[in-house]
Amino acid sequence: MQHEVFANTEDFGGPDIVAGTGRVSKPGVDAPYANYELGKPFDEMFAPDGQARAPYAAIDSRVSSLPLEELNRRQQAVEQSFLHQGITFTVYNDNQATERIIPTDLLPRIVTAREWDRIERGLTQRIHALNLFLRDIYNDGRVLKDGVIPRSMIYGSKHYRREMRGIPVPHGAYVNICGSDLIRNEAGDFVVLEDNLRVPSGVSYMLANRDVARRAFPAVFRSMGVRPIEHYPLELLATLRSLTPFHEDVSIAILTPGVFNSAYFEHAFLARQMGVELVEGRDLLINDNVVYTRTTSGLKRIDVIYRRIDDDFIDPLIFREDSALGVPGLFNAYRAGNVMIANALGTGVADDKAVYAYVPRLIRYYLAEEPILDNVETFLCREEKSLQHVLGNLDKLVVKAVGESGGYGMLIGPHASQKEREDFAEKIRADPENYIAQPTIQLSTAPTFVGNGIEARHVDLRPFILHGAETKLVPGALTRVALKRGSLVVNSSQGGGSKDTWVLSQ
Amino acid sequence: MFYSIRHVTRFRYSGPVRESVMELRMQPRSEGPQTLRSFQISTNPRAQLYAYTDHLGNAVYHFNLLREHEELRIEAQATVEIGQMPAWPDKLDPLEWSRYNDFNLSDDHFDMLEPSRFAKPSPELESFVKIADMEKPVGDPFTALKTLQRGIYDSFDYEPGVTEVNSPIEVALEQRRGVCQDFAHIMTAIARGWGIPCRYVSGDLYHKGSRDRSAANATHAWVEAYLPSLGWVGFDPTNNIMAAERHVRAAVGRDYSDVPPTRGTYKGDADSELSIAVSLEPTQAPVRHEDFLKVARPMVSPTPTASMPERLYHQQQQQQQ
Repeated sequence: MQHEVFANTEDFGGPDIVAGTGRVSKPGVDAPYANYELGKPFDEMFAPDGQARAPYAAIDSRVSSLPLEELNRRQQAVEQSFLHQGITFTVYNDNQATERIIPTDLLPRIVTAREWDRIERGLTQRIHALNLFLRDIYNDGRVLKDGVIPRSMIYGSKHYRREMRGIPVPHGAYVNICGSDLIRNEAGDFVVLEDNLRVPSGVSYMLANRDVARRAFPAVFRSMGVRPIEHYPLELLATLRSLTPFHEDVSIAILTPGVFNSAYFEHAFLARQMGVELVEGRDLLINDNVVYTRTTSGLKRIDVIYRRIDDDFIDPLIFREDSALGVPGLFNAYRAGNVMIANALGTGVADDKAVYAYVPRLIRYYLAEEPILDNVETFLCREEKSLQHVLGNLDKLVVKAVGESGGYGMLIGPHASQKEREDFAEKIRADPENYIAQPTIQLSTAPTFVGNGIEARHVDLRPFILHGAETKLVPGALTRVALKRGSLVVNSSQGGGSKDTWVLSQ
Repeated sequence: MFYSIRHVTRFRYSGPVRESVMELRMQPRSEGPQTLRSFQISTNPRAQLYAYTDHLGNAVYHFNLLREHEELRIEAQATVEIGQMPAWPDKLDPLEWSRYNDFNLSDDHFDMLEPSRFAKPSPELESFVKIADMEKPVGDPFTALKTLQRGIYDSFDYEPGVTEVNSPIEVALEQRRGVCQDFAHIMTAIARGWGIPCRYVSGDLYHKGSRDRSAANATHAWVEAYLPSLGWVGFDPTNNIMAAERHVRAAVGRDYSDVPPTRGTYKGDADSELSIAVSLEPTQAPVRHEDFLKVARPMVSPTPTASMPERLYHQQQQQQQ
């Protein structure tokens, strides 16, 4: 017992106990779940009949034994900890930049060992297929010749980098760091909503959330066999190192757009955790096709760059000439093999809306396997059967133009008028190749502390996949929460928060 | 036919600059009737040159200069042999249109069908196409391209100074004036709209005291269109001629932005002034340096816009005429 108290001196909750599983809370009835609504979406904690699911029993029994004030106190301690660590992002409003903490929630989201196993296998399969696809379109173009994916979709993509054609990439690994957004559908199955293959962010929040959630419910945490994620920076470092043929004196740098970037905290955090340089474009220079960083003791060679800058801005000599963030000549040093860049350039061509719809086919084409994780069901209007289905069900579907982003050329069927739907049907018929359709997406809900109790809020799941000489997933993820009741928007810029994700070892 | 080609490119800066990085696409290609016999390139201040072949098969040289400098001079000297050009038929049969199919077209062709940065549709282009009656190609693709070339030649005056290196084609379309770069982009955009793969060619033209409108002391640009039964065929809308023995090809791309002869950045709070001298003469033997020194009028590069808080890199390019 003495040991228990000692171990908990850092904990927000003070000495904590596992209260056993005697009590069974009812959502919508018992405090603190009085306002917890179970709807059509899958709920992470409660089964449709209101029974708490088994993995949540311990956390339920602890939470419901605590007075509301105590929950509030722990929530504040969690937020204080974020503020002290500087885990903030910048909100731009009326020309004023305000530093805000990413709202974080006290209560963990739990993923069982079985669920995680499927996620891990599914995402590993997916990143293999996507890397084979990238290697193919930047070399032989077999997938285009075989007609698996239309050419115009690749050549018309603004993320297709012709400069990458024929350039060898170590281990054929174009995407070294990937953050895939998963959601859980009404049936309770995880499906992939989006692949982020360019410069995915959020992994620092995954680590920070663990740090606070572990301290908010220390005994529950220890009792549950939650798999550790703290080694992520080491795994990232190993992945970056595996890109060079050298074993000693490998010099690595994180290239950040600078302090005004909303993810700057993460760049600094990862650099510190890995013990590598944090540089901006102006800190680097190219001499005789080799990359150097300016240091107080002269120039120091850089072998691997983990870049957190978009392709467009990375080298003003080759890409956007008005970029002041990049390093002129960097791409030629990369072409010559004198520096490795993670992620490789040109990965964005594989994560746009249109290509997304083809990923299940790409998995079958390159791996001759069935996809382990499904996509959100997507209808390609270029295919006659799908077109008829879309036209017949416009009131139930969301239709998107593939070339557009940010809501342009989009029809949200259930919210559109009859006239709008008819007009849009005309557009689809005129140019079916340009449209895809999906059912309206439901995110699952998870218990979230809202100040006067615990309510259901929509969540997604972003695991991070590392892919160099080998593929690795740290058993954890960023669970993003739409903090407004009923909202499906989990982005931190629009009122989203996050919570810790506990992947159980069994 | 042998040609000796010499390019002298000089950047003068209004103050000291440093960390210049530059790419050069000046080496004549060696393919088809054209053979590169010799090529030399040198810079002053001296720099270590590196080279690679880009995905379009163009030879690219690049270098950097760390030290402060106020002038940068690049000299390129090439000897090129141009053999017998194929004789084009007067016209093709209309079935040529049906030969634009997956069997005849490869990845390289498809990439030359999509709109690109300078060669893309716009309301200005659409209205020009309407006025010039070019909405639909007339006759077989080859005849249609010749008609298009003639139409552009007749509709536009050749006049340097109206457009700049980074001008979109809309400027030339509004003014009905421009230089070879603009005409090549306009022809490319229209022909791609018809479904004909087209690429931009950067190079030099031997002027021979002819009726050519283009300037003799500058680099030249024209268009190559793909005809399934003939291959890539060169059209020079600036001079309303087929590209033939007088056209020396240096680089091909989707449009100018893929193949500028020089492209570079430097650091320093200074403006740059670019002057170019080009000489291209028939030759039998390697030519002596002092035979060439026709310096073109200086061209000031467009002032860079200060869009970033700390804008130290400046882009510099030359317009093709």
